Order: sequence, then structure tokens, then C-alpha cells
Amino acid sequence: MISVTPKALANSENKLDLTNLSPKQVALDIKNLNLHYGEKQALQDITMAIPKGQVTAFIGPSGCGKSTLLRCINRMNDLVDICKISGEINLNGTNIYDKHVDVAELRRKVGMVFQRPNPFPKTIYENVIYGLRITGENNRRALDEAVEKSLRSAALWNEVKDRLHESALGLSGGQQQRLVIARAIAIQPEILLLDEPTSALDPISTLTIEELINDLKKQFTVVIVTHNMQQAARVSDQTAFMYMGDLIEYSDTNTLFTTPLKKKTEDYITGRYG
Amino acid sequence: MNTWFKSGSPWVWLSAGGVSISLISVLGLLWLIASRGLSYFWPSELHQFNLTDEEGVKSVVIGEIYDREEIPVSQLVHLNLKLDAGQEHIERLLIKTGNRELVSLDFRWLLSTNITQRSTPKDLVVVERRTNGNFYGFIDHVVLDGVSFDGVALASEKLPELLDRVEKFQGKIDTLQKSDIGSINYELERLRLKTRKHELKGTLTKEIQADIDTQVSVLENDYRKLEERLMSYRDDISRDHLVMRAMDGQLITINFEQVLQISFNNKLGFFEKISMFISQIGSFLVDDPREANTEGGVFPAIFGTVLMVLLMTVIVSPFGVIAAIYLHEYAGKNAFTKLLRIAVINLAGVPSIVYGVFGLGFFVYMVGGSLDQIFYPETLPSPTFGTPGVLWSAITLAILTLPVVIVSTEEGLSRIPSAMRHGSLALGATKAETLWRIILPIASPAIMTGIILAIARAAGEVAPLMLVGVVKMAPNLPLDGNFPFLHLDRKFMHLGFHIYDVGFQSPNVEAARPLVYATALLLVSIIVALNMTAVSIRNRLREKFKMLEH
Repeated sequence: MISVTPKALANSENKLDLTNLSPKQVALDIKNLNLHYGEKQALQDITMAIPKGQVTAFIGPSGCGKSTLLRCINRMNDLVDICKISGEINLNGTNIYDKHVDVAELRRKVGMVFQRPNPFPKTIYENVIYGLRITGENNRRALDEAVEKSLRSAALWNEVKDRLHESALGLSGGQQQRLVIARAIAIQPEILLLDEPTSALDPISTLTIEELINDLKKQFTVVIVTHNMQQAARVSDQTAFMYMGDLIEYSDTNTLFTTPLKKKTEDYITGRYG
Repeated sequence: MNTWFKSGSPWVWLSAGGVSISLISVLGLLWLIASRGLSYFWPSELHQFNLTDEEGVKSVVIGEIYDREEIPVSQLVHLNLKLDAGQEHIERLLIKTGNRELVSLDFRWLLSTNITQRSTPKDLVVVERRTNGNFYGFIDHVVLDGVSFDGVALASEKLPELLDRVEKFQGKIDTLQKSDIGSINYELERLRLKTRKHELKGTLTKEIQADIDTQVSVLENDYRKLEERLMSYRDDISRDHLVMRAMDGQLITINFEQVLQISFNNKLGFFEKISMFISQIGSFLVDDPREANTEGGVFPAIFGTVLMVLLMTVIVSPFGVIAAIYLHEYAGKNAFTKLLRIAVINLAGVPSIVYGVFGLGFFVYMVGGSLDQIFYPETLPSPTFGTPGVLWSAITLAILTLPVVIVSTEEGLSRIPSAMRHGSLALGATKAETLWRIILPIASPAIMTGIILAIARAAGEVAPLMLVGVVKMAPNLPLDGNFPFLHLDRKFMHLGFHIYDVGFQSPNVEAARPLVYATALLLVSIIVALNMTAVSIRNRLREKFKMLEH
């Protein structure tokens, strides 16, 4: 069994009943979601509710569909031509796959951070306000405030406050990833999706980001994909284990890692495959 | 030997050899044009040759040594030369003798066996003239205000002052003719067209006619005044003249109006020669051509080349970039797009003269002809845009270079990591916003590469231009002080065509030869300068985005 950190233990005290959440507690309601890449089915009938203001982790072996599921939430899969989706994902009572949904608007509500840091080749300042510029915000003072607030939230302010107008490409990998997080939260999304945010970083940067995630859940609902089980155990409140496009088990992190109900989950977290 | 092959060093030698050969050929080419071209501007020594020909007749030849060659004796048997036994070759000199009013050819071959004496008298002068080419000889006397000053010393003392005066008047005459009288003519033409326009529309009332007539009479009055002034300048300038003694002793009067420069080449020291060399290059760059382009400068051709290339760049860049964006970002990834892309790449292989024919048929006759029908009916039957001009040349070359810009822009677009697009899209940007704010700035170095290649190709093209706008001699620049200042309908001169024209269409081939090299050198330098500007812009852009490259 995996060693459970005190944080996860502490979380276990206010456990949520994931099968029976009240509408106010739900950030995202995924119902019967199926996804095909051409002929191949990548997600099979996923149904789950992601609670508000908490960190939910998706774990599973490579190719299990965890990243695909994450990309469904802000419709990044739309960029793949051969991708076909059925089922619904409800955000604030609307299905995000409805025809009249404005995808750009949706993505402003559901921010995303990718595996590799991808700052734009602009200054740190311009990177952070990119999303605001898109929405047409041009008030200098509002932008300045947003930059400071976002960088502080992303625990980067102290390191970059003297070089806001230098290129973001001069930052280290870990700093870049925090900058990308700051960029995502500058537009005040409701949900923040993190797709293996630390897999390209060194251990110390990883630790910083993990601490950051813990802070972020105070303001946002966080969904994180990780292939690192210890990380999932450290940062998340809920964990979903996926395997071959199926959602195998979904429960609070403590339960999932200490007393998994399914054989496959137990095999995976004890390192028998994956 | 076998181990040497295995060590891989033969390949190093092979590739290094390839590089060296290309480098040597480029440098050799540059050296050849530079040395031949620049020697044209160097003030060369003036020689006096005393000759005795086969029949014992004596004569004198004055001039510059232009070329020398060894020819086999067997070619000269018919001349019955008295030669040393066993001599197989004789040196032959090509002398530029100028003085076109005395002899029809200003070049002459001399056999070295005929030369009895050669000298370089200090008092020999070369007079550069507006017409009839150079005059070589001695100054006999100078006539100032009807007073004649004899003797070389006094004459040469007075010369700088005189030349200054001539230059000043000449400048006044030029501005008067070109800009003042030119703009009056332009206005008169405009008024004529206005009348014609009203006639065509049937709206020519008596008031309008009267109004135009008064304007015309005012202009004509101005014109007469200017003409009088011009005449008085002409009188002023032709007041003085120079009497020269030519090689055969004849006295020739040269009016100062004709004189551009008088120089005692044999008296010049090294530094004087250098300053003359530089001033000659300067006047080559800023003067208008004279004598059917075989003398004078090439300024209109430089101007035409640069203007046409800039226009071409302005036209080709947006179209090329837009086409590349469509092909790469919006077009479906199917067989048709592939076909389209192959077609674009193959366009680059179409011979340029074909583009010229297309430009003439489509742009000049069809588009230009229709424009004339619609917008300029008053000038018909003489065409405005329905005739070759700088605009059609720029557009034709823009089409010619379009594939280059499209291909390199597309390559630049496909090099951009998809993480950039995804990052922007995930922040709620639309595809167009992502393109405009992220993709295009990152692709800008690649776009610049395309533009650089386009400029390099377009600046060197001559063949299509001969059909769509280039002329041997354009009376006006496409840019002047008359509204609308930039006249895109005008024909223009081009350095590439100028080389062809001077070198192969000129009546005076020998005189034109160094000019061909000088113009070629200039064309190369201009293309290099245009490219360097574009390259430095690209490098600045690359610096900005360099972290993305790895």
C-alpha cells in the first residue's frame, strides 16, 4: 500500500458522498460520456460528479483516457478532427456540448495548464494578461492589478516582480509552469484543469506546484491528471482511477488509496502494472 | 588508404572542397565585376603616341589606353611589316581617342611596331562633355566675355571658377526645365483632359470653358516667362568658350555649355586621383544617363529598380501570407489541398518570361485597358494604365515571387509547436485571435525569409519586365512633385535592363563595356543592400523568439 500523508488523512474527515452530491456542491456533472477517435473508443460511458472547491485527481496507466477526459471538459478535443463525442458534461446546469455554447466563453470558465510549460514568446506581463486582452480589457490599472494578483496566487510574484517586462522565455521550467498557471487564473475561471503539470519539472519545482495546488482550491475547482500516485495522494481530495477508457473507481483519495474496492485499482496502486 | 576512407575524412574533404569551390566562384565573380567596373571611374593617364606607318607617314594619336592584346603575326601578313626574325606575336593597343566630331569612331587600334615614341605630356587634358563624348587635346586659349586668354597657365587658373559658374547655370536650367516648365506642362495637360472629360459627358458649359481658358492663358503666360528666363540662362552660359588643339593640330571650339569637367589627368597626384575617382562614382550614382545611355549616370535606373522592388514587396507580402495561412490553418487536410500546394510550388518553376507574357496580356491589356475605359476615358485613345508601367511590373513580379513567400511562410507556420496554439485557445481565444496574436508574430522570421527570397528573385528579373514596363530611357521618374506624386502608370528604367541595353543594344560597344560592369556591380550591391536590410529585420525578430527554436 502507498504511504498516506497527513494531509490526505486530514481531508478524510470531511468526506463527501460522491454518489449523492447536492447541486450546489457539484462543479461538473459528467453523464454517459463516450468518445471515439475514429473507430477506436477512448472513453466508455463515463459518469461522475466533480465537487466544487476541491481537488480531483485522475490516475491510471498511460493511454487509459485520463487526459482525454480532462480535455473534454474544456472541449480541447474539438481540435481533433476525427474525435466524436456523445453524452453530456454539465457546467452550471448547461451541457457544454450544446450547439449554442460559445467554446471560447467556455474555455474562459474552464482554464487549462498543460504538461509542458508553454509561455508565449512575450513579456511576463503580457503573458499574464493575454486572456484579459482577448476579452478587451485595456485599462492599465486593472491589468496591473490582475498581474499582481495572479502572480501572487501562483506564488511567482516575489521572483518576477522586478522583471515583469522581460521575456517569459528567460524563466526556469518551474517558474514558467507557475507563470502559465497565473495566466490561466488571471481570467478568473471557475475550474482549473491541470494536465500532468509537473511531469516536465524537477522535484523542487514539483513541490512548489503541489503546494500551490493546495492554495488554489480555495478559489477554484481543480481537476488534475497525474501518472504519479504519490502526487495524487498528496494533493487531491478525490481520486478517479481509469483503465482502458473506463472509470474503474472514484472515491475520496484516502479511501481509494487505503481500501480500494476494485481489484484493478488495488493492482495499479500497489504497482502490479502500469 | 582503406583506413583513411573509414576515418570519414574523405567526406570532410569532399564537402569542404564543395564549399570552397562555391565560395571561390562567388568571390571571383564579384572581383571580376568590381575590378572591371571600378576601373571605369579611375582617372587614367593620357598618352601621346608618335606613329610612323608602313609607308613612312608620320602622325600623332592622343588618348587613354583602353585595352592591350597580343596577336599572332600570321594575322598581319598583308601589312608587310618589317619584323625581327622569329617574332610570333605583336602587341596591339586599343586607344580611346574621343573627339567624335573629328573621327567617327572614338576608339583606335595601334600596333606597337608603328609607335616611334610615347609620352605623357603634363598639359594634356580630357574634357568631359554633354554630347559627343570626351575630347582629348591641349588647351589653346579660353575666351571669357569676348576676351581671349592665351596660355595654358592662365587658362587653367581660370578654369575652376568657370566650371563652377557653368555648373550653377546648368543646375538652374535643369530645375527650370524639369520641375518648373515640367509642372506647367503637367497642369496644361490636366486642363486639356478636364475639357475633354466635360465634352464627353456633355457638361461643358460656357462658364467652365471660360474658366479653363483663363487658367490656360495664365499658365501659358508663366510658360513664356520661364522660357525667356531659360533663354537668358542659355545665353549666359554660352558666353564663354574654350579653344582646344586636337592631336592632328586642328583647333576646335568647345562651348562651355557643353563642358562637364576638364581635367589634367597627368598632373594629378595620387590623392587627387582618389578624390576624382570618388566624385566620378558619385556622379555615376546621381546623374541621368547621356548619349543613349553610354555615358553619364544611372540614377533613374537605380530609382526604378528600388521603387519597383519595394512596390512588389508591399504587394506580395500580404497575399503570400494570407494564402499560406489559408492553406495551413483553414484548408481541410485532403487531396485537393495537397494538389493546391503542389500547384503553388510548381508555379515557382514557370519561366519568368511566361509571367511577362501573362502580365502583358492580362494586367496591361485587360485590367489596364478596362481601367482606362472606366476611369480615364478622356485621355483615350492614348492609354493611361492600359500600357506597360511600374505598377504592372510590380504586380507581375509579385505573382512571380508569390510561391516563394507562400512556401516559406507555410514552413514557418508548421514549425510552431502546437502547445502555443493550445495555450492560447485554452485561454478563451478564438482561432483568429490566436493566429493574429500568437502564431503570426512567431512565424514572422519565416515570413521575412520568404520576403528576402522574393526580393532577391525580383530584383534580378529582367525578362518579364521588358514586356510590362521597363524602357531604355524614361523621360520622368515615377515619383515627382506633381500631384499625386507617385505615378504608378509611368514606365521606368531598371538596372538589369540597363545592363542589357548598354552592353548589347548600344552603338558604341567599346565605350559601353566598362559601364556594363559598373552597372552590374551596382545592381549586385543594391540587391545585397535590400537583402541585408531584410536579413537584419529577420535577425531582430529571431532574437525575440529564439528560445522557441529548441
